[in-house]
Amino acid sequence: MRSASSFKSARLAALLLTLLLTFSSLPQSVSFAQSCATTAENPSEVTEKTKQLFRLERLNLAGGAELLTIFGTAIPFLYSRVRDKRSAGNDAPPPIMDLAAADREVWNRFLWTGLQYLLLDSYGIPLKASTHTFRQNLSDYRKAHVARALALLSLYESETGTQSVFTPAETAEIQARLLLSDKMFGGIVDDINFQKVYEKQTTAVRDTRGHNWELLRQRAEKESLYFEPLEMPDGSATHALLWVARPDLEKNQGRHFDSRFLNIQNPWTDNRLPDWKGYTITRYFDADNRVVAPDTTGAHAVEMIPLALYGLDFPKIPILLVDFRDQLNPKRREMSHRVLQDVARDLLSLSSFANIPYFFGRVVYDFVTSRRGLDLNQMSRLRTYSQLKLLLGLSASFDPELRDDISRRLERVSLNPLENGMETEAKLAREQYGALVAYARRPDGLPARIERDRREEMVSIKHGSVERPLLRLANVLSFGIYTHREKATPELLSQLDIKRQLDFHAGFLRRVVKSTPQIEVVWNIEDVRRSLRFIAEHGSAADDKIASTSAQVFARTEDEETRKLCLNSLYRINNETAKKELLNIYRDAKLEARWREQSAEYLRLAIKEEQRIAPEDAKVILSLVNENQ
Amino acid sequence: MKISNCKVGNRQLAVGSKKRTLRCLLPTAYCLLLLCQSIAFAQTKRVVILKVDGLQPDIVDSFVRERDPQTGMSLLPWIEHVFYERGTRVENFYVRGMSLSAPSWSMLDTGQHLQIKGNVEFDRLTLHAYDYLNFSPFYMRNIAGLSIDMPGTETLDEAGLPLLIDAYAPQERFASFQLYQRGMHWRTFQSAAENRFLKSPRELLDEWTTGFEVRNTLSDQLERDLIERLNNPAYRYLDLYILDFDHAAHHNRDRETHLHVLQALDATVGRVWTAIQKSPLASDTALVIVSDHGFNTDEKVYSQGFNLVKLLGSAEGGGHHVITKRRLMMDYAIKGVNPFVPLITTTTPESYYLKGQSTDYPTALVDFDGNERSSIHLRDSDLNVLHILLQQLQRKDLSVEMRRAMMDAFFKTLDRRRAEWGDKLSQLNEELSALHREIAKEHDALKALEEKKRPKDNSDSIDPNDVKRLVARYNASVDNERKYSEYARSLSNLLALRRDTFDPRRIKIEDVIAKGAMGVRNNIYELQNYVVGLASVGPTLAADGSLDLQRSFQHVDYFSLLHNVAVRNNVQAEVSSHPINFIAVRIPSELIAPLVEKDLRPTSDVVWIYDGQENQALILSREDEAGHLSLRYLPIKNLREDENGSIHFERVGWRALLPLKLFEDPQLNVPEGARISWLDDWHTDLEWLRATHKTEYSNGIIGLNEQLARHHNEAFDTDVPGLSDDERKLRRFHRRRRELVEADMLVVANNHWNFDVRGFNPGGNHGSFLRISTHSTLMFAGGERTGIPRGQVVEEPYDSLSFMPTVLALTGQIKNGQVPVKILWERGFRQFPGPVIKEVLSGGGEKASPVAEGVAIAP
Repeated sequence: MRSASSFKSARLAALLLTLLLTFSSLPQSVSFAQSCATTAENPSEVTEKTKQLFRLERLNLAGGAELLTIFGTAIPFLYSRVRDKRSAGNDAPPPIMDLAAADREVWNRFLWTGLQYLLLDSYGIPLKASTHTFRQNLSDYRKAHVARALALLSLYESETGTQSVFTPAETAEIQARLLLSDKMFGGIVDDINFQKVYEKQTTAVRDTRGHNWELLRQRAEKESLYFEPLEMPDGSATHALLWVARPDLEKNQGRHFDSRFLNIQNPWTDNRLPDWKGYTITRYFDADNRVVAPDTTGAHAVEMIPLALYGLDFPKIPILLVDFRDQLNPKRREMSHRVLQDVARDLLSLSSFANIPYFFGRVVYDFVTSRRGLDLNQMSRLRTYSQLKLLLGLSASFDPELRDDISRRLERVSLNPLENGMETEAKLAREQYGALVAYARRPDGLPARIERDRREEMVSIKHGSVERPLLRLANVLSFGIYTHREKATPELLSQLDIKRQLDFHAGFLRRVVKSTPQIEVVWNIEDVRRSLRFIAEHGSAADDKIASTSAQVFARTEDEETRKLCLNSLYRINNETAKKELLNIYRDAKLEARWREQSAEYLRLAIKEEQRIAPEDAKVILSLVNENQ
Repeated sequence: MKISNCKVGNRQLAVGSKKRTLRCLLPTAYCLLLLCQSIAFAQTKRVVILKVDGLQPDIVDSFVRERDPQTGMSLLPWIEHVFYERGTRVENFYVRGMSLSAPSWSMLDTGQHLQIKGNVEFDRLTLHAYDYLNFSPFYMRNIAGLSIDMPGTETLDEAGLPLLIDAYAPQERFASFQLYQRGMHWRTFQSAAENRFLKSPRELLDEWTTGFEVRNTLSDQLERDLIERLNNPAYRYLDLYILDFDHAAHHNRDRETHLHVLQALDATVGRVWTAIQKSPLASDTALVIVSDHGFNTDEKVYSQGFNLVKLLGSAEGGGHHVITKRRLMMDYAIKGVNPFVPLITTTTPESYYLKGQSTDYPTALVDFDGNERSSIHLRDSDLNVLHILLQQLQRKDLSVEMRRAMMDAFFKTLDRRRAEWGDKLSQLNEELSALHREIAKEHDALKALEEKKRPKDNSDSIDPNDVKRLVARYNASVDNERKYSEYARSLSNLLALRRDTFDPRRIKIEDVIAKGAMGVRNNIYELQNYVVGLASVGPTLAADGSLDLQRSFQHVDYFSLLHNVAVRNNVQAEVSSHPINFIAVRIPSELIAPLVEKDLRPTSDVVWIYDGQENQALILSREDEAGHLSLRYLPIKNLREDENGSIHFERVGWRALLPLKLFEDPQLNVPEGARISWLDDWHTDLEWLRATHKTEYSNGIIGLNEQLARHHNEAFDTDVPGLSDDERKLRRFHRRRRELVEADMLVVANNHWNFDVRGFNPGGNHGSFLRISTHSTLMFAGGERTGIPRGQVVEEPYDSLSFMPTVLALTGQIKNGQVPVKILWERGFRQFPGPVIKEVLSGGGEKASPVAEGVAIAP
């Protein structure tokens, strides 16, 4: 278990996590699964090269914070602008996600949505359409960077092989927060769900990938094409290329071609292919149709023409990203959903909520296109498109000519004017990283921001549950211009420190309690005791939830010391819930007498010390005290 | 006084005699007690079974041994705590037969040899599909009052094989939803919905945002129900069927997914174990975890699918319209949302003679479930010949010579099969008559029950489920009578055709060639020379004016066709470019016996394994007088059957690359230096299991025999004395129905290949005889009084047949290691062919005392 303080520093660093995609042209080791180069490479060399792709930089900042930057081939990825800029400027890039205040995003989204529908939409189609589109583009650009951040975080975790700077729980939190960033209420999801969200998403993504890998392989096989998975440095195939063998063009001339799922034209009737002047490659196959080195005995050479490139991370179908014979093919398909949506909403002012025939028509149309796996009206290619950029950036095994060809074609798929070209993104990333580091080092930069954030965090210590929402409302209604902050005093700083640590221990104990009916079987009981000790020591700052959790720990352990610590915690937590829980333990006839006696003793002391106790519980406790005197 | 003295004397004598007897008996009893202590069964009063579909023990073991860096505990702490530290693990437990859910659970749940041979079975004559996996139709039929038990349970009932839960009275058992389910508890759905959705708004909002996990709703509720019932000592049998690992491993090959799903299982083990410990019968309760098969999943390899349906539909595959019980590309079809899945016909445009007639005349049935194997039925090749000739004879443009030649060929073919088909038809008609009378009886019985149910009668004595069961059986009988009669009518019409009165143009083909029927199973000759249509050159006359059958028809040799399939996209080094490993077929022993020396002669069915012309084997089997099975592996090549039904093959010596790859396997456990001599001998199934279980194909030799051979079943035995004529015919009818689901070929996939075309299973599959797929989980743990040894690992290999007798032995419901106690005998339980896992019972303790209700009255 990580200590609370190290968690704090990581969390502080994570405060400003934004992302910057690297489009480095430096040599890397992402490989074609079929490429000869890959098969010939020594696995240990590959691993070493892969490790070199990633580097962690830690920058200690004033105020006890730490800036963690993960570099892909010496370029930081975690920071990026989310606005369209040709030059990054000198300001720090805005965060795409503030992990310490993820809920703020939810309220902002509400506010903007309300503003859009109540105000902007009433000013006619031009304003309505342009604002909708701008917000959509901004959101898409952000999603694209979130997708890349997620992919790179996973790659960093799996490929460096070094001890992660994050605990599994922290990794799950960062990943889950990023994953939930595009959900309406994603920012206010209870922390306890993060692990589940992360696991579910990981499983779903890998399921989709395998599913599409196999679907595309089978379709390629059926149509006598060649399938080539493209792998990330961790070996996961995220994309795939389809090729046609030049000798097959003659052999299969005029043959029927089923374009379902492939979404490309029949290569057997395409007159351009026999005279193909574009990119080609010669591959060597053995008798078992495996790609081998040219000098392998019995190997035969086949000239291959690329037909299409697909993303495998897309739900249900491999999604066409590049059609080497028709540049607009993927773009048209990408546009279909957006056009339908924009025309219905902005031009026809149709809404699923207000127009029942439209609602049903839309449901049926969406069902059919989705169910049949038609590459029309599908969700955006954003994620897989974004990952392909990453793949191209990290891959060294791509023939440079093919890589450039794909990059060039890929830019045409994007519908988002905010999206920059790969080179521009890389340039911006470098500039932004420089600006970020400068910002982090400037006294009025990141340290000041952290200071402000801490003062904002102190609000929860100084103000109760009635005042806090009002202060938040004021913040939202003023578009963030007004933010209530406390004056930082040594006492408040100390209280904040304790609060954060209590939050950490409470969160840990909640996970413990949720996970098992008997704690010592699953957890290192010393970790549990340590958290309980901390809670007991700082009982005055603990809340109802912590009291309930301590009682649940008591019920789920047979460990003597842990049980004692639970009772001690409940005694020291000065609130009604804690005393109610103690009373419940006392009343539990199934428990051994000593635990009940100990509870009674603590309750007597609580009465004597005039702790906070619910009146009805106080009566019971007083009768208990009188009985035993 | 005398009398009195005498009395006293007698009493004294008696006392003296008793004392002497006691003196003799006590030491004897003491010795017997000492002797029996090691074999005495401990007292397990209650058994809780976690039935985990597809739980691969090697994956579990590796996670159990791995430490969580955060906690320092096992990644699967509860499994370690309960089964590794406090229980007994059967380390080498295997599926006997195919590593496939429906057959495997049937063996685990009955302790008897296989009667159910696939997840889906097709009746060749009626195309009735036994879909043992599909819950939705069962739920609907249950609501409609048409079914009370899952289809698998109904089939086993017909075969007279009681389930493990039948050892307990309904009020003593809690069985979750599973393949062999008896009855239905609808309240579970209501509670599940309540528990899922009646939450705090905050929790609901979180669930909505993160995605509702509807999939686990029912299983979570079943777990809650089970835990609740543990507090009631009346419950003596409880089980929980868990599908999650199987589902996840089919889809995902990655370690994280496997770990997440196993950690969820581990948590279930923890909750159930903790609940047991808190229950009144804690020290008398045994917790068992068992799986029906392993899983061929590899983190580095995607399992690749091969479409057998398309192959059979292609011109080279015979242009078959193919029937399946799983919709192809189900997730991409609008109709795929239909949960009831009717028979799915895949129509081919490449049919040679049945274009546009796919729904009337499908000619192939394919079951590909489990995915590493597939069972294929093809229509009787001679029915194809007759069908094609009839079509031709109905043409008006035939020359006189050709018409005469075709007519000769038609009757030659028909006459060749007339006796065999005629016998089958007359037997079937006899059976249908008996069935008709049985239906009348069932109708009367139901009527009588209806009378009893009227309010004035004491209806408490009638179990409503039993009534529903009778209704279901009655409906099934009526349906069977109708469908088989239809087939019989067509066959009767066909056999009634006579050359002298034959006018093909006045015949409706559907009157003589039954629609939707495969006819009799093809023999090897037919499968090697299967007629799929007219040859491209059309009908050709031989020099003597007869129809040249060889040149006139398009033939397919299915063995070489399937074996030679290869793919062009071979992107994974670990995966062969050939999807098919081997094809296996049952051959009646009488065809092989004359061809081998006396000491090799089989007395029961032979299995032929085809792995190319050069690499073939016969698995010979025989049973001794006590019914003990022995098997012999005979390496051969070039097996073929001629037109007259004679089999020919060449013997070869032991070498590498023979089917099942035993000779070259370093894990083959035979005396050093005696590999060939050991392999060249008969061995019992237990000897084979001990020698081969760690090889690549593990107990494949036993599994193939179990899967393909016909096994004796008392309920089908017509020679039992005292049976009425109708009873005998009905038994024969039931046996026939089981035999009619036997496929022509069992096609087994190569490693990391599968035949799933319903969707994609890149994560992994099972169904083959590879060890990774047959190796299953079996672990026991229990309270102090169960006597289950703690921390014990059983290395002796066991298979599915041992599970049921071991559980019954734990609870004292079995005698002499094989024979069920009287009360169970009366409920239909019979001697178990598999051995009890004695190591589980070696913990000592009290003498056996059967726990099921009513057992106490049994002698």
